[in-house]
Amino acid sequence: MIEIKGITKTYRAGSEIFKAVDNVSLSIGKGELMSIVGHSGSGKTTLLSLIGGLTRPDSGTVVIGGTDLWSISDDELSAFRNRRINFVFQFASLIPTLTALENVMLPTAFGKWDGNVAAKAEELLGMVGLGDKINNYPSQLSGGQQRRVAIARAFINDPEIVLADEPTGDLDEETEADIFQLFHRFNSEKGVTFIIVTHNKELAAKTRRQVRMVHGVMGES
Amino acid sequence: MHISIFGIAKRNLKRKFFRSVAIALSVAVVAGTLFSITTVMESVELSIMRGTARLGADVMVVPSDAELKARAALLAGDVATFYMPSGVMDSVRRSKGVAAVSPQIFIESATFDCCDIADLRLIGFDPATDFTITPWLKERLNRELASNEILVGHEVARETGQRMKFYGNSFTVAGKLESTGMRFIDNSVFMPMQSARRMISESATKSKKPLAIAEDRISAVLVQVDPAYQPAQAAIYIENAIKGVKSVVSEEVISSVRKQLFVLLKSILMVSVVLWIMALLMIGVIFSMIVNERQREIGLLRAMGARRNTVFGLIMLEAAALSALGGVVGIAAGGVLLFSFKNLIRASLHIPYLWPEPSRFALLIAVSLALAFLTGIAAALYPAARSSRMEPFEAIRKGD
Repeated sequence: MIEIKGITKTYRAGSEIFKAVDNVSLSIGKGELMSIVGHSGSGKTTLLSLIGGLTRPDSGTVVIGGTDLWSISDDELSAFRNRRINFVFQFASLIPTLTALENVMLPTAFGKWDGNVAAKAEELLGMVGLGDKINNYPSQLSGGQQRRVAIARAFINDPEIVLADEPTGDLDEETEADIFQLFHRFNSEKGVTFIIVTHNKELAAKTRRQVRMVHGVMGES
Repeated sequence: MHISIFGIAKRNLKRKFFRSVAIALSVAVVAGTLFSITTVMESVELSIMRGTARLGADVMVVPSDAELKARAALLAGDVATFYMPSGVMDSVRRSKGVAAVSPQIFIESATFDCCDIADLRLIGFDPATDFTITPWLKERLNRELASNEILVGHEVARETGQRMKFYGNSFTVAGKLESTGMRFIDNSVFMPMQSARRMISESATKSKKPLAIAEDRISAVLVQVDPAYQPAQAAIYIENAIKGVKSVVSEEVISSVRKQLFVLLKSILMVSVVLWIMALLMIGVIFSMIVNERQREIGLLRAMGARRNTVFGLIMLEAAALSALGGVVGIAAGGVLLFSFKNLIRASLHIPYLWPEPSRFALLIAVSLALAFLTGIAAALYPAARSSRMEPFEAIRKGD
């Protein structure tokens, strides 16, 4: 389903050129639950953003479901992300002026959606244990609660792929387990493909496949 | 319940309330200044046109030592009196380029118990030759004024049918002229020459303040120039032919006002342009700051599927809303200030002043509003374009 061939991404820091991702090729099947592990600065997050079409590789291709992400227009790529991919970022990624419910609904502002989006958002918030916080603003939520809102938002558009960058970083063990269970549930019931970046070896061990990034180069664990 | 770009923009504006107010206020200052300046210009222009049309004369011949007083009377409405022999009128009539002449006598109403209202200009006109008031009489009253009737200018505090007393003589107000913005007309009382002469002669017995104006005296000869001649040409012919008189050309008075206004406008316009540039730069800098501050948010929106145009539109929507709000506030404030201080403006500028016609007023509002709108749009254009061009991952990373 996801075919990554020879992608490289470099950054320039002054006169030095730094290869964040170096000639990585990877094939990920539909409905996989996999993790990318590695130390800080190993290129995990950059690889995730390349897979999600958030940044253009210097070379190589990312093909998802037959669509080469960088051969389509920017508008088409935006629509592709809006319909088929969703993200959980490693930082508090909520819009401060929107309530928890509105934050979950946010992706639907960028496309046409049928059905009761608000009811679905409410249901998702219930699934992450925040059914009683739907009208709270991010400033009224703890860091862990904000993270759970972001996780609920990742499923609002019924994505085929969820790209999660340290999704349980701020959460306690119990909540971490609940969230991981939720990922498993979406994976097994709806066939959602999960690619999870983590440096948590225990969490990675719960995924069916692990790949390791070292200095931008990939190797299967 | 749905979430929309409009809703997000609205929340963003509320988020930094004081910053939003500062942007709107800077646009308001620009819009209000521009609107006020142009409205004053339009008002003055209109009142001069209307006033000179009501005057109906191309040239006003006055005693040579009264030229400045006559100009001040026409322009600022100063109540001044000056006299010359009535025989001047025949000489003016014979002068080259003159089509029609009519005499007028100016009398100043005084305090004491002689007059109901002081400091008015009482103008005696000759109904047989007049082309200033008579056309109005024919059109509105369809008759001549009786010997005890007067017409009053728009600013005179009397209405049709009321009575007024001047130098012991009682008059009935037969009509009130429409506003011209020229105090020379708006602050005057018009009566037939015969009534004025009678009032002068009877003032010695009926009034505690007698008028000492000889029977053969007039203040001015109003001249209509032959269309084959320029008013300025005819004025020169008159001054060359008759000693002791000066010819005040209405057009020249207007042109001098226009020159004065032009200088005034130029300086205020310079200030406005500086204000506008400052507002543009300030709003541009603020929106750059906003975009920098919200880089991560913008990256997130793009990651969730917002198109470049959507991000661009979001920033522009915020700028447009603040500009429109600032424009409305500025124009409303300008309008209220202009209306509240119209007397002060008139007094300090020493020029006629009249509100523009509604259609013209609407146009001024529309143009000022459009400029206000464009100010915000133009200022936010670059930051909005820059934010929309950024790669989502780059925006998220830089926002860290």
